[in-house]
Amino acid sequence: MTNATDCSLIEQLRYVHLGSRHPEAAARFAEERLGMRIVGSEGGEWLLRSDHRAFTLSFSNARAQAVGLQVRDIDALDLAAERLAVHGVTARRDDSLAARRLAKALLAFTLPGGVNIELVVRPLDKGWRFFPSREIGLSGLADVALRSTRVMEDEAVLVEALGLRVTDWVGDAAYLGFDDAHHRLSLHPSSATGVLAVEFALDDLDELMQAWYRLLDANEQPVHGPGRRPASEQAFLTFDGPDDVYFGFVTEGRTPAANERPRQFAAEAGSHCAWGSDCRIAEYGAQTLLRGRPQLRGVKP
Amino acid sequence: MIELRDITYVRLGTRDLDGATRYATEILGLEIAERSGNSVYFRSDAREHTLCYFEGDPDDHVAAFEVGSRTELDAAAAELERLGHPVHVGTCAERDQRKVHDFIAFDDPTGNRIELVWRPQMSGRCFRGSRDTGITGFSHIGLCTTDAARDELFWTRVTNARASDHIGDAPLLRIGKIHHTLALFPTDCKGIQHVNHQMQSTDDIQRAYNFIRERKVRVVFGPGKHPTSSARFLYFEGPDGMVYEYSSGVCEIDDEAAWRSRQFEAAPRGFCKWGAKPDIKEFRS
Repeated sequence: MTNATDCSLIEQLRYVHLGSRHPEAAARFAEERLGMRIVGSEGGEWLLRSDHRAFTLSFSNARAQAVGLQVRDIDALDLAAERLAVHGVTARRDDSLAARRLAKALLAFTLPGGVNIELVVRPLDKGWRFFPSREIGLSGLADVALRSTRVMEDEAVLVEALGLRVTDWVGDAAYLGFDDAHHRLSLHPSSATGVLAVEFALDDLDELMQAWYRLLDANEQPVHGPGRRPASEQAFLTFDGPDDVYFGFVTEGRTPAANERPRQFAAEAGSHCAWGSDCRIAEYGAQTLLRGRPQLRGVKP
Repeated sequence: MIELRDITYVRLGTRDLDGATRYATEILGLEIAERSGNSVYFRSDAREHTLCYFEGDPDDHVAAFEVGSRTELDAAAAELERLGHPVHVGTCAERDQRKVHDFIAFDDPTGNRIELVWRPQMSGRCFRGSRDTGITGFSHIGLCTTDAARDELFWTRVTNARASDHIGDAPLLRIGKIHHTLALFPTDCKGIQHVNHQMQSTDDIQRAYNFIRERKVRVVFGPGKHPTSSARFLYFEGPDGMVYEYSSGVCEIDDEAAWRSRQFEAAPRGFCKWGAKPDIKEFRS
């Protein structure tokens, strides 16, 4: 029986589902660039594995995105539905979607800003260890950054109904955690709604920096980093992915102490990177001026 | 055997003392210890100075190492003379300039000017750089060699230097526990090839990368990580073609008897395990 009102109903970040114009190409990207493994493609649903979880990323041509979070049991699902109703959020059980997500039961709802969340019970794990498609030091799905037009309301639902805790704020953006990690979700104010970035953990900083040089060798520039987030102390590298979703690697990072007070950081680029790296992500305070020749109004470069 | 205790300072000639001073303070982040006559002295740690720029020939480089006693200094002078390296004994004025009790100077087989100093002066004040760099101190130099095998023999037989590792023909030499205090890089000239300062953390190296790039100073290698010493590094251009390095996390060799020097390739992977490629003449194969 799940009865706690203070503790989080959420036990694990399980997966991210992304609608894609070209699911197969997106899955190949995840295999080649992230070192994940394609573990299924039935019914146009491309599932990719990154760790002990049966899958952590899936692509289909459905025009929808969703973040999967695990709760303990059916009671927890019912409790979540009740608490969401208090916040005016309608949730629905969906057995066929549960089957597609390889879980026993599933409760789907939409945050006020428009992001779809799926709560799952008994999602499938694998007993055989994960063998990456590339030796890049991948250790699993780490966190998901969401953008929303209504971050404060989204934050209220996630905190008050599901029991996530705010670990720090950057402007109105909130880092949300429910386990040892500083955060598993983050909410960023934006003019659009959806998944901003999906981030995977690497074993250490060496691998993160190697990933950066691989990107440069392929004549690509990261969209942000390599850098270090002042709030979570994660080193990060964020780059372009399919369908306008950013993908990233993170490593290191701190575990907040019990009952640690969330801190407020200013809404500026320096609050998103303590190394001063270039940033092209508007939600993280992208530098408006590109390095090199300054652009002058009315003067052709 | 000349027992080198530590590397003490480098002296570099320049035709633009103001420019070099501006670079050393604003870019490198050192502190001016003293301006005197045609020289500017810079601090990077607890010592009174670890770098001196003086008005003169930009090819005029001097590296100094500390010895433990006057007896050792005298014995070193005699030994170097016996081996055919003419020794200059520092004059009173030269000693005062260098803030040392006594010193001798000689050329190594390549022709690099080396000084051995006794009782270099410490400062009573904490080092405070012009900006928050995270610099913890001057730590090592790369030295040019026109014959790496010959010069390795000189440094390892005449002094207490030991090869910790090799990258191609270049030996990385230690005089204490720190993986290397002196490295010899094969090239066609004499002189100091690079000057290293240690930083507190990898974060400092990474911040420096963006700071230096934004100021349009050319980064010539890194950020990266040396497979030899495990140090995270950044090399960038200084005045008169000098290369400066920031690094953090150099390993120490605690068990002298157990250490076996390793051979790494004279290729980017021998210099960096992250994938950076050097744009430094002496680091190219």
